Amino acid sequence: MNQLDIEECAKLRKLIFLTGYKGGMAHLASCYSCLEIIYTLYVKGVLRYDPQDPSWKDRDRFVLSKGHGALALYAVLCKTGVLSKKELGTYLQPGCHIGGEPCTRNLPCIEATTGSLGHGLPMAVGMALGQKIDGMPAKTYVLLGDGECQEGSIWEAAMAASSMQLDNLVVILDANGLQKTNRVDETLRVVSWQEKWESFGWTVRNTDGHDMDQLCQTLRQPPGARRPTLIIAHTVKGKGVPLMENDPKWHFRLPNRKELKQFQRALQISDKELE
Amino acid sequence: MNSACIGALMALAEKDTRVLYLTADSGEGGLDKLFRMNFSDRSFNFGIAEQNTVAAAAGLACTGKIPFVFTAAPFIAYRAFEFVRDDICLQDLNVKLIGSGSGISVSSLGPTHHTTEDIAVLRSLPNLMILSPATPKQAEECIKLAYQHTGPVYIRIGMNKEKEFFGDGYKMEPAKNDVIRSGKDAALYVTGSILEEAAEAAERLSEEGIELEVVNVGTIKPFDADSVIQNAGRFKNFFTLEEHNVTGGLAGMIAEVIARNGLGVRLHPVGLEDIFAESYGTLKDMRRANRLDGESVYRRIKEALV
Repeated sequence: MNQLDIEECAKLRKLIFLTGYKGGMAHLASCYSCLEIIYTLYVKGVLRYDPQDPSWKDRDRFVLSKGHGALALYAVLCKTGVLSKKELGTYLQPGCHIGGEPCTRNLPCIEATTGSLGHGLPMAVGMALGQKIDGMPAKTYVLLGDGECQEGSIWEAAMAASSMQLDNLVVILDANGLQKTNRVDETLRVVSWQEKWESFGWTVRNTDGHDMDQLCQTLRQPPGARRPTLIIAHTVKGKGVPLMENDPKWHFRLPNRKELKQFQRALQISDKELE
Repeated sequence: MNSACIGALMALAEKDTRVLYLTADSGEGGLDKLFRMNFSDRSFNFGIAEQNTVAAAAGLACTGKIPFVFTAAPFIAYRAFEFVRDDICLQDLNVKLIGSGSGISVSSLGPTHHTTEDIAVLRSLPNLMILSPATPKQAEECIKLAYQHTGPVYIRIGMNKEKEFFGDGYKMEPAKNDVIRSGKDAALYVTGSILEEAAEAAERLSEEGIELEVVNVGTIKPFDADSVIQNAGRFKNFFTLEEHNVTGGLAGMIAEVIARNGLGVRLHPVGLEDIFAESYGTLKDMRRANRLDGESVYRRIKEALV
């Protein structure tokens, strides 16, 4: 992996933490499991978009279906210059536009308002269909949570996408194995995602969700003939902070004073930066 | 009303390629085939999956399309409610939702197929225009109005060969009620295809010397509140008639106007009194069983006034 990209993601992890910590609320662990995926899409040249013109008609679209990963998206948009750090600094402040889940109101760089799970993929089906109707070469990318796949609307959308042969639709499944209260496969026993999505008519690929070279390579592979693509990105929830990794209790909480030191050490955050 | 809507929709599709027809396997008595035959590349059946249909319509609107989702009213209003809220209304997208078989017009299938709370739940959604045509001509006008309006629209239509009350030259305007019949003794506000029962009741009362002003409410939201305010100076008694729960429906809307403006008039709601509709049979049978037919409405108004 490119050392520069690794360093950039470390900086973004720090930015996500400081923004969430100062805002008083964040889904840190979820953001850390999907950071490299969103970074690869926006920074490694996978998504065709114009940072100067977020509404460019022919752009590829990205929908964060697992909306609670919003801070990871905002941080990457800061890196690309679509969002300013000053704007991000208003996160959760009264009167600001930057909330805990992505919302299109006053934020043209966000493609879809999400937060309630199971909405992003169905909306993306419409976007990909719209691109097809217009004969555009553009694609629609979606980041989906593995816990989110418990929502029935995901499977309505999965059936429609394959039936409509939306080979311009690419879904990345953030397979971190955890949901809010438990492991995904202990909450509802899952037969393999691979089999499930393949049986719904999708081309399924696998990648390490933190290895940006692998991600890049997988995302750049051409789609299967007239089939939508699902990429299972194997990730670690809370990646980068050992205390948080693979533990569902970190789904929606910030560290207490004692735990804070461990976060600071892992993310190389000084006391001054916390002020 | 279905055929009037499909006809109007095809006329729009003819001149604007952004117009799409989406359904969740509803069919509308085979009328969808007519659209598909003429515009095969702009007609999409998403299967029995209303949530995805509504959300995909939002996604299509994001790409500049004007999707008309045409499917059974209860499955739009209830099954897909959160998708209407978050994906269409919250994002203020240019999607048109046409709920067919609203009220109790799908009489024989029972309460799961009735739509007797849709006004109550959907009028609470910001950004959503709600239209409730009474006749085929008004349904046709609703489709045109929905197209002209940039933003989310819900149209609740009946499906029982409704009687026509409007002439060929009729034009519908948002937030403007139609006076179907002038009167001096009381006002009867009515919405949807049940207008014909209101007209029948008014005719019966007229024979007995009671003259009702019958006001048809075609646009639920925005609502013509001025009509109520002005009529409060003319009438002491207001009646409402709807194939809907009076809670949150037309009666609730008018009660809000009366209370907010301190109008000091008496409101007599006629509709479903916080119940699901009873019985089976034809629409006429159902209206009779639920005391919503012309004869019952006549009796209830007479009892209140005499």
